[in-house]
Amino acid sequence: MNALCLAATSFMQPELPVASSDDDVVRAAVAGDRKAFETLYRRHADRVYGAVLRLAGFDHARAEDLTQEAFVRAWQKLEGFRFESAFGTWVYRLAVNVALMSIRARNADPVTIVDDEHLPDVADLDNPVRAFERGELEQAIAALPPRARAVLVLHDVEGWKHEEIAIELSMAVGSSKAQLHRARGLLRRVLGDKP
Amino acid sequence: MNELDYLRQMRSLNRPVSPPRDLWADIDRQLDAATVAPRRRRDRARPWLMAAAIAGVAVLGGGLGLHLVAPAGDNSLATTGHAWKPSDPRLAGAAVELDAAHMELTQAIQDSPESAALQRLLIRTERQRERLRNLDKQAS
Repeated sequence: MNALCLAATSFMQPELPVASSDDDVVRAAVAGDRKAFETLYRRHADRVYGAVLRLAGFDHARAEDLTQEAFVRAWQKLEGFRFESAFGTWVYRLAVNVALMSIRARNADPVTIVDDEHLPDVADLDNPVRAFERGELEQAIAALPPRARAVLVLHDVEGWKHEEIAIELSMAVGSSKAQLHRARGLLRRVLGDKP
Repeated sequence: MNELDYLRQMRSLNRPVSPPRDLWADIDRQLDAATVAPRRRRDRARPWLMAAAIAGVAVLGGGLGLHLVAPAGDNSLATTGHAWKPSDPRLAGAAVELDAAHMELTQAIQDSPESAALQRLLIRTERQRERLRNLDKQAS
């Protein structure tokens, strides 16, 4: 009976077994299998959404838009996927790129330059800071100017190196370090201002 | 809290987050447009190429005209050509950012000419460039 059920179930399942490796699923998706691409979406949506949510300052509406755009772009560029890295890493980098592009367009606003001027002095960085709740940290990160937030999130949360950040944000490695220094200072100031 | 504790707290934010709703239906809808895009791209690219060519010729013509009219050492050219650089270092930094954003958007539009969002961003970037020029004029 169990064997019969199993046979019937496997007959009714889509072509791709649940346990298929990403590479197999990617090959099917490249061949135009939309179901396979949905499988990839379901496997990697949470990681992608988490990353763009942090870069978008925990704005869920924007994170949804960015996630959608990232997967649409992934579909368009899937033929160029060379299997040199894991699909998850590839789509994550692509999503970060989409989010950074959006930040760049917004951050080009001269108003941000004024924000940058209001960043704290170096002396503020030496102030001791207590441990924080996750929600507090998220709110403080969301309050940062977009570009400073991007550098802080990529370096301190996502674990990127300055060299990688510099490439993605088209800036010098020194600028990335300076932005991080300022962002940390501002973060501490925002956290310190809380009652 | 020392540096290590700070980094530990920050790294703890690095976790997958489920979208509040299933985004697949929206993505699936957009894939329809994305799938037929390569075929349409060539047809759609023509008006863009025409517009870009006209704009390029206009800028080149204007630049050459100004170059011929303006006396040597006249720095009014600095505010009209594409190599415009504001004297205020803060504005200059923003100008570099805008130029980079403009270039990236232009490249992205070449990849996805059907993306209305990218077009909007490009227009917005151009407006911001204009605002920056005005700020520079006011500052000087």
